[in-house]
Parts: sequence; structure tokens; C-alpha cells
Amino acid sequence: MVHKTVFIFWCSIFLLISCAPKKTLVVLLPDDTGQAGEVIVESKGGTQVLTEPHQATEVKAADVSPTAPVTLKEEEVLRIFGKALDALPEPPIRFLLYFISGTSELTAESKMQIPQILHTIEVRNSKAITIVGHTDRVGSREKNQILGLERAVSIKNALVSHGVDPSGIGVVSHGEDNPSVETEDDVPEPLNRRVEITIR
Amino acid sequence: MKWIAEVFSLASLFFPIFCNASDAPVGSVNRLKGTASIVRKNQVTPARIGEKIYMMDALKTGRDGSLGVIFKDDTLLSIGPQSEIIISEFLFSPAEGKLSIGTRLLRGSAIYLTGIIGKLSLESVRFETPVANIGVRGTKFAVKIGEATPGTP
Repeated sequence: MVHKTVFIFWCSIFLLISCAPKKTLVVLLPDDTGQAGEVIVESKGGTQVLTEPHQATEVKAADVSPTAPVTLKEEEVLRIFGKALDALPEPPIRFLLYFISGTSELTAESKMQIPQILHTIEVRNSKAITIVGHTDRVGSREKNQILGLERAVSIKNALVSHGVDPSGIGVVSHGEDNPSVETEDDVPEPLNRRVEITIR
Repeated sequence: MKWIAEVFSLASLFFPIFCNASDAPVGSVNRLKGTASIVRKNQVTPARIGEKIYMMDALKTGRDGSLGVIFKDDTLLSIGPQSEIIISEFLFSPAEGKLSIGTRLLRGSAIYLTGIIGKLSLESVRFETPVANIGVRGTKFAVKIGEATPGTP
């Protein structure tokens, strides 16, 4: 008798675990501008579309249709998702700096942007910065590959000289192969003589 | 200095191949709290800020853990405590029109903010749970597995 009770006990534990709820709650969130996009929640049982901020639907099992959308209070969204929301990274920020033809010397205008870049790195405490160097198509492809790298390295050095940790900076050259404006070979194009800095 | 440039210029010749290879990183860990780990080919390593993420990695958090990732296409993803998510798909070659990002939440909670792949091709963004598929028309949403929720019938 005792054995039977124990057996039934373990059986019910097993059943509880194997039927552990896998039901899914989906909530549409407003983006940084306060607008909400749209998500479509689909199970084998049916489909629901969420279109308003904080609208939610629940799928209780794979073969059951998602519930009719309801709008959750913001406090409730924070209660359920607060820790995950806190862990969401900020979108990367990009800067473009331009150079004097054939050199790794910044234009006067771009030089003035350096303090803002340093400020962004500091505020974000970023340890994942990438600098991609580019050139226009004046000169050979090989030389431009090197010039692109020199540009990227010169910006890295400038950041490091202001106290940015070099181990968090990645540097690469795309040479003349990744222009922002397409040109014929040997055409000077100021907009292509650039580095792109991504701060994550 | 010149040899470095040559290495880079050589590397750039192979760059398209690196881009497509499934062993190229697809993103990196950007935020971290408490216990969190990365499961890659059955190897479990503690997560660290700046650590690269690869396709088919599983990201896991403990009871006090949370973790945020930035993907190569600027998609942002975070998971809350006691969560597990698999990066099942990632292709980002806009020039060739090869775009896809797939994630599968197995337990816990996640926040998702679509990046460039979502802007270029809505149908290329997939988010799965054990009972549902989520199609994304933009841009930010939250998913939780398991908990009963007051407010939803």
C-alpha cells in the first residue's frame, strides 16, 4: 500500500514536470520613439496580431489558438520583464570622420567631432569599439588598402591617447572596396575618404 | 607596419568567405548580471562582457542572471533570470540578399529589438518558443515562457 502511494506520488511529480508549462506570453513594446510596430503570434491552433503598445497575447499550448489581445499596464510589463529589460543593450552609435586626400589627417570639421566621440565612449563605458578605414579610388587598390588601415589606426591612436583602453578597439581596412559613393577608378571622392567608428 | 597592412589586405580578399561562414561570430555579449553562461558544442563557459556569440550557441542565465547581446546587424536581444535561448540562424550579407535571423527561447524571458535584417526583410526574422512562432513586423517585443499572467484571460 505504501509502495503504491509512493509510486503514485512519483508518477504525479513526473507528470507535473513533463507537463511543465511551456505556455508563451508575448507583449508588443513601444520602441524608443513611443511607437509600436506589429507582431504576429502563431500556434498550430491559430494566429493573433498585436498592434498597440503593451498589447499581449498568450499561447497556452501548441495546438491552442493565441488568446484575444489584452493591453497590460506598464507596471505589469515591468514586473514580468524588468530584469530582461534592464539587460537590453543600447543600440550601437556610429560616427563618420573624413580625411584630407591621400593622408590619414582628418578634415578640420571631422577633428571637431573627436570630443563627442570620446564622450560617447565614456558615457557608455564601451569596451567594444570598431574602426573601419576607407579610401576613395585615387591610387592603386593595394595602396588604398594600406591607407585605409593607416586612417583607422590613426583614429585608434587618437582615442587611446585620450585614455580609451586599446584592448576594446578593433581596427580594420576596407580600402577602396566599400565606398559610400560609387565612382570610376582614380576619381577623388571626399565622402569615401572616411573611417566609420561603431561604439557598442 | 607594412606587414600588418598586407595581412589585412590578404584577409580582405577572403572577407566574403568569412562573412558567410557559420563559424564567424554573429554578435557579442554587451550586458551581463549575475550568473550567465554560453553553451557551445556541449561546452559550457561563463559569459563575459565582449565575448563573441556564434550560431547555434545557447545562452543561459541562473536565478540572479541576465544577459544582453548585440548582433552584427544591430539586433538587440536580452534574457532575464532562469532563461535559455538558442541562436538558431544568422545570415547577414545584404549585398547578396542573404538575410536571416532565428532565435528559439526554451525557457524564461526575452526582449527583442529588430536590427537591419528586420528593416530590410521582415520575413527573415524568426522567433520561436516551444508552443508558438512569432512573426515580426517591427520592432520591439517581450516573450515569457511559463508564468501565469494576470491580465491575460
